[in-house]
Amino acid sequence: MNLTENQIERYSRHIILQDIGGVGQEKILNSKVLIIGTGGLGAPAALYLAAAGVGTIGLVDGDVVDISNLQRQVIHFTPDIGVLKVESAKAKINQINPDVIVKTYAEFFTADNALVILKDYDFVIDGTDNFPAKFLINDACVMAKKPFSHGGILRFAGQTLTHTPGHACYRCVFNSPPPANAVPTCSQAGVLGAIAGMLGTIQAAEALKFITGVGELLVDRMLIFDAKSMNFRTVKLKKNPSCPLCGDTPKITSLIDYEQAVCDLKKG
Amino acid sequence: MLTFYTNDTVLILEQDQLEEDIAEFIKGQIDPIRFKAIRVAHGVYEQRQRDTYMIRIRCAAGGITPRQLKKTAELADAYGSGEVHFTTRQEVQVHDVLIENIMNVIRGLNEVELSSRGGGGNTIRNILTSADSGVDPEDVFDVDPYAIELTTRLINEPDSWNLPRKFKIAFSNNSKDTAYTQATCLGYVAEIRNGQKGFRVYCAGGMGAKPMVGHLLLEWIPDTQAYHVARALKVMFDKNGNRRSKFSNRIKFLWKKLEQDEFVRLFKLEFDPIKDDASLNLVLPDLKNEAKSSNLAKNPAQGDDYELWEKRFVFDQKQAGLKSVKVPLRLGDLLREDADSLCDFLAEMGENNIRCDRAQNMRLRNIPEAYLGNLYHIIKNMKQSLVQYPPFLSNMINCTGAQTCKLGICLPRGLSDAICERLGKSDLRLDEISDFKVNMSGCPNTCGMHHVADLGFFGKIGRKEAEIYPSYNVMAGAHVGQDGLMLYAQRVDEIPSKHVPDFLYDFLSVWIEDKKDYAGNYQKFLDEKGKDLIKTLCEKYRFVPTYEEDPEMFHDWGRDRRMTMDDMGTAECSAGMFDMIDVDKKQIEEMIKTIETVENKKETLYKIIFHSSRMLLVTRGLESKTETQAIELFAKHFVTAGLVNDRFQDVLTLAKLDLKDELLKHQALILDLGQTVVDLYKNMDDSLRFKTEKTEEIPGQNGPVVKDFRGVQCPMNFVKTKLALETLKSGDKLEVLLDNGEPIENVPNSIAQEGHKVLHKNKQAEGHWSVLIEKV
Repeated sequence: MNLTENQIERYSRHIILQDIGGVGQEKILNSKVLIIGTGGLGAPAALYLAAAGVGTIGLVDGDVVDISNLQRQVIHFTPDIGVLKVESAKAKINQINPDVIVKTYAEFFTADNALVILKDYDFVIDGTDNFPAKFLINDACVMAKKPFSHGGILRFAGQTLTHTPGHACYRCVFNSPPPANAVPTCSQAGVLGAIAGMLGTIQAAEALKFITGVGELLVDRMLIFDAKSMNFRTVKLKKNPSCPLCGDTPKITSLIDYEQAVCDLKKG
Repeated sequence: MLTFYTNDTVLILEQDQLEEDIAEFIKGQIDPIRFKAIRVAHGVYEQRQRDTYMIRIRCAAGGITPRQLKKTAELADAYGSGEVHFTTRQEVQVHDVLIENIMNVIRGLNEVELSSRGGGGNTIRNILTSADSGVDPEDVFDVDPYAIELTTRLINEPDSWNLPRKFKIAFSNNSKDTAYTQATCLGYVAEIRNGQKGFRVYCAGGMGAKPMVGHLLLEWIPDTQAYHVARALKVMFDKNGNRRSKFSNRIKFLWKKLEQDEFVRLFKLEFDPIKDDASLNLVLPDLKNEAKSSNLAKNPAQGDDYELWEKRFVFDQKQAGLKSVKVPLRLGDLLREDADSLCDFLAEMGENNIRCDRAQNMRLRNIPEAYLGNLYHIIKNMKQSLVQYPPFLSNMINCTGAQTCKLGICLPRGLSDAICERLGKSDLRLDEISDFKVNMSGCPNTCGMHHVADLGFFGKIGRKEAEIYPSYNVMAGAHVGQDGLMLYAQRVDEIPSKHVPDFLYDFLSVWIEDKKDYAGNYQKFLDEKGKDLIKTLCEKYRFVPTYEEDPEMFHDWGRDRRMTMDDMGTAECSAGMFDMIDVDKKQIEEMIKTIETVENKKETLYKIIFHSSRMLLVTRGLESKTETQAIELFAKHFVTAGLVNDRFQDVLTLAKLDLKDELLKHQALILDLGQTVVDLYKNMDDSLRFKTEKTEEIPGQNGPVVKDFRGVQCPMNFVKTKLALETLKSGDKLEVLLDNGEPIENVPNSIAQEGHKVLHKNKQAEGHWSVLIEKV
């Protein structure tokens, strides 16, 4: 056992959990999670994973904090406007839990840097806000055999699935991104801030479950919820033999940067 | 023969060890910080001048006999500055002693049953009383016998010598509180109720840089319980005091941390079980205030000068025909020849006739009226005293300041001389304000008692652009005694050191003029006029020229060079344990870091074992004389006691047998040992308890693993039990020790809910529970 006295106290409520215990907490402390996008989903995910004691948290985001982010991206505060999101988030994580090592990548996740950034992490959280990025993350994780949590929110609704190697991936369900501007982004359609928290914390919980091996992940399932009716349901998914990425005869063998409307890149 | 306390033989025998330690220190075999901790407990402090020491001698109740004082002066002359110094804590000191003479002084003191043991360090310090207790016509009763017997009782208890911090006790003979019972750790005020002698008891007061006024601990106790209270508070402080922080470990800080209810509860926990145990009652000495009959020829005196002296310095005692006399010392210093003439005379009058007072003057008592003339001639002929000045000037209190103290910023001794010079020769009618207290400290610590002064000063560094000059904060508004509630003086303003004498002249001339209008009520004067006057005068004297314009402003009184902070050091008296631990800790950490690059690896590995062994011995009150002994003590008190895993036993044995070549094979384990000890220290709590488990035995052959979770709160005791179980295999057994109450009600249930088997729960004689668990 390598937990210090201080750590035993800090993580006592985890250790008390029968499924986690000291062994589970040590796994958390030794784990490395990459969070792509430090916005509505990445913010709550990062806060909870930091508090939980995830040993290394990687943050990827090339954007700076904008006043319109503050309605839901709870890791950034008003004085952070204009600051790189990864730096703003890092500062908060350091305050929550000095045990956590934070690595920042002040750039967007692209076909060029994806595999290099991914390689050191045990689990990936997709906290991005656009389809090209979500497909890129899916593709890169499948190719690199990294488990990840997909998440998406719009207006009052959210959806999430977890992928682990050998199981259904995002492309098994959605073949390719919709045409640019066919689906509105948050900046166009709006989003209830609180649902970012709901979904981001679900993603954090999935990451912690994966790390500790506790429970059943949202693998081969998609959770969909609507905050207006507060209905949650899970839809069963199957690995698709004709998936262009992980099917029997894959057509995609290298990473692709899909086109993205310029305004979306800016406004997230 | 009268003595004011008695040291057990053990305390005298400890001097042999001190002698050896001094010899080793001279040879460079003991680290200066370790040596400091050793010598300070013997009342030996290093002065500001390197390798020069002062020795503080205990004088319980401020008492010393003529025979003892004469010997002390003789030792001061032979081995020190030639003067006996009277302190603000009613004891005496010998200054300027070189290291090779320390033992000569200490052994010499043995001859007259005086001791410097406990002059410093974390123990029972000199117990103070009102300086005129026993002779004061306003005595409720004489408190000196209590201080004397309590001193003997406490200093001879082994558990008095390793308290979290110093423990100061005082007794006042009436409600005027001249012993400042509310400014000390434990204070007793004499009060008779229903014909029974007794005390009001205050505690947790203290001055210093963070002054706190004491609190009423017990409304009243019969005098028979005086010891019981001191014992209970000592034990309670020992158990609960903060040993980790040098700066917040006095009893006053414990009160602040626990707050009243919890402090009193913990005190009563110790006090209630013993308070009615009459076998613990102090057996009071029969201390008589009388004069023996003497054949000494009388040497009468008369004339104006004699009458003025009598008016200023001679007081009636409650014993008819006997007088008490104040000998006004310059800066508390008594020259050897003056001590000789005084003591030779006093020895003729009896033994119980000298007290030290808090204003650093000598108080003589039990002088037959018929011999006052003899005394007058002796005092008038003293080579050094302030007898020619009004008592106001000798009643000023000053600490030693930057002259000898390593913490001093200013030189209150120089200032005191300068004030004598300025005011003593002025037109001020100082005899009208004999009781006015001007107290000065060289730094924010309160050795000069500036918090209880009518005008208090404490040294600060003044800054003029990039230059520093000596300056003082001015304090006023203290209120002591009379109606029970004490107030400390507050800072009003500041003034350059060089202007303090002029400031005092200006201020006092107004107070002397106004005293009648205010019917002597200084408090009222301060509130209505005095504080504003202080501010106005400070403004008048605020301007400081540049060094080029007036270098004098940058020289403190009594010093011929510019003020400098270069030779300041850290406090001597708190020397302690943590400095000693840090010496070893730094060594261990450094050696672990550089192990791959050192030249002599096996020697370094050996040193890691040695420092790891020694580092925490002091927390257990253990001392090692040799490297081997350190390793042996560590093996016994840390490994066998279960604080450190016994996998290290083998390397300890190798080191003990000096098989250094073998150590190379165990490098990883030795580095692990070093780290383990450093980690253990990090987990130590304020009371030096280690939070770590008792043992980590291999289960099976040696029975169940035992973990001691007494004192661990819910749910941390469950968390730790769970963690302990995780290290075991299914079917292994774990025994945990749990407190009664919530812990025993909760932990076994929670463990059972996780599926483990609770085999038995046994209540132990001491009140805690032993729970045996089988891992599922």
